[in-house]
Amino acid sequence: MTEAHNFEANAISCHAWNKDGKEVAFCPSNNDVHVYKRTPGGWKVHEILQKHDLRVMGLDWAPNTNRIVTCSADRNAYVWTQGEDGKWIPAWVLLRTNRAATCVKWSPQENKFAVGTGDRVISVCHFASENNWWVSKHIKRPLRSTVTCLDWHPDNQVLVAGSTDYKVRVFSAYIKDMEEAPERGAWGCQPNLGSLLAEFPNSPNGGGWVHAVAFSPCGNKICWVAHNSSICVADATKGNTVVRLFTEHLPFTSCIWVGSNSIIAGGHSCMPLLYSVDDNGQIYFVSNLDSMQKKETSGISAMRKFQSLDRQARTESSEDNLDSIHQNTITSIRKLSPTEFSTSSLDGQLVLWDLKLLENSIAGLKIV
Amino acid sequence: MSLKPYLTAVRRTLTAAMCVENFSSQIVEKHNKPEVEVRASKELLLTPILISRNDKEKVLIESSINSVRISIAVKQADDLEKILCHKFTRFMTMRAENFLILRRTPIEGYDISFLITNFHIEQMYKHKIVDFVIHFMEEIDRELSEMKLSVNARARTCAEEFLKRF
Amino acid sequence: MSRNNEDTSGSGFRKIDVDQYNENNFKEEDGDGGSTAPTGPDENEILTLLTQGKNVEALISVLKSAPLGCRNQQTKDSARNLTLKVLLSIKSSQIDDCLTQLDRDLIDVLMKYIYRGFEIPSEGSSGHLLAWHEKVYNVSGIGSIVRVFSDSKRA
Repeated sequence: MTEAHNFEANAISCHAWNKDGKEVAFCPSNNDVHVYKRTPGGWKVHEILQKHDLRVMGLDWAPNTNRIVTCSADRNAYVWTQGEDGKWIPAWVLLRTNRAATCVKWSPQENKFAVGTGDRVISVCHFASENNWWVSKHIKRPLRSTVTCLDWHPDNQVLVAGSTDYKVRVFSAYIKDMEEAPERGAWGCQPNLGSLLAEFPNSPNGGGWVHAVAFSPCGNKICWVAHNSSICVADATKGNTVVRLFTEHLPFTSCIWVGSNSIIAGGHSCMPLLYSVDDNGQIYFVSNLDSMQKKETSGISAMRKFQSLDRQARTESSEDNLDSIHQNTITSIRKLSPTEFSTSSLDGQLVLWDLKLLENSIAGLKIV
Repeated sequence: MSLKPYLTAVRRTLTAAMCVENFSSQIVEKHNKPEVEVRASKELLLTPILISRNDKEKVLIESSINSVRISIAVKQADDLEKILCHKFTRFMTMRAENFLILRRTPIEGYDISFLITNFHIEQMYKHKIVDFVIHFMEEIDRELSEMKLSVNARARTCAEEFLKRF
Repeated sequence: MSRNNEDTSGSGFRKIDVDQYNENNFKEEDGDGGSTAPTGPDENEILTLLTQGKNVEALISVLKSAPLGCRNQQTKDSARNLTLKVLLSIKSSQIDDCLTQLDRDLIDVLMKYIYRGFEIPSEGSSGHLLAWHEKVYNVSGIGSIVRVFSDSKRA
């Protein structure tokens, strides 16, 4: 049902899979990216990509063109292509920003990628074959703080970005030089790169850095999670209405759609949780996917830990491990196949979850 | 009022405060500094929270996107406790690097401060750091009253020895 | 450093924070500022409810009219003092009962005021607030504490 893998990394900050799920690239919270291959004898390190001067902040693996893009706090991004000998060859991308590059994502057609930065800029990059390099174009307004997360609409022309200025924004990411004019989609149509198509404040109470955003498979809905422990869904077909659910957990740092109405979110609570959107558009909690070995609610276990601390003064015993597979914050969630997803965490583990098996074992669990 | 509900509230608040992530400075390129200390970007700071047990004992928790600062005011009923507390915290802060999360100087109005960054959270389990701070708060009270007792006992012995001469 | 630091053309310019002039800087939203600025709860109404023994009604009323988006610290402080008075007048045994009548949003507001109440400790007040804290936590989990930290509309 779940497989936990330990790559002898202290903490994994982000990860990505290749097309068939046999290879994984992850960043062990430093300047390198490790590429591992799954072999019958377990995971084997294939290559360590060393090019960045500072910590790698984001990476993404384009499944069809088999290219890895990485971005880092050193303000650079590299596109890695695999040579005939299997070695990864980096190509530098001129982002033209002066602060850390925080997140990166390939577009669905894999001819563009977008990089969020701490310079209050999103760089949309495409390959200029006449010059043989990656060219970047900027989206600046009205970003007011670091861009923390990005996602592409399935139509390849629209981009959503979350930021530490408490807002989620939808931009046109159409590049005139290289593609056909976009058709009018659910989020409207603007024939200019960077036109603002929609803007959502995270919360009516203000505040809450946006940690992750995701377009639904059809592209009509956007889900985001933010630092006020909320999970929100905006629907373009319902006049951009936003439905918010304020949860009783610690903030989520990552979210993915696993079906047209189901979302998996995970973060500082160290457990992936399944939420669904019902026919009225309301978000409801379905199940804790890490409930198998969990005996008590976190509230009681915090109390128990406190009591044991009170009695024994110092506790180094195994009993004060958290009641979850992950022992520290979940940093990223990735879809591996239609029925599998993976979570990486600051505890150094990469865990694979099989939704089909989970569906069979947890009563009432239904992915919709 | 007993210590336990106070520590429970502090523990829960700390758990909520310690949701930090790696974050590079928006102001200075290629820098990564605790935003709670730099205070240059307003949107990256959270509401500071105070928890008090009475007007003397309190904890101030200031949080930001990549760091948390915890400042503790310890009960000091008389001059002797004040001196002992000062000596004790000074001993600790002089050796701050050994404690990793200890801040070299406390925030004004408090006796001791901790600074926890995302790098600490990556090296250590978050719940263990919370355990450590709570443990520290439990121990410092006990430590101070024990020291006070031993100082008093010593003073009594001295006085007895001195008065024997007359 | 130049020798003539005292000179007017000396080092003053070094202390200018040039970053504040960046037009892309984050700006706080004005919220409900201007004419519709919330004025906070009606003190007389709340006190009347308290003297009539309608503590729960007083609590709901004071939380509903909380001036969270307000910029005026004085309004916020007087709302805090009034809310604290209501919280302290509800006995520990009544807290659970009281919480069942509050919806999720009001519980989040309540948590904000519990923390504000710690700022002005008086005889026994902290102990009572800790009891409130415990019970609210049992209802709404750690999420409501997270929102005290993260919401920019503060109590």
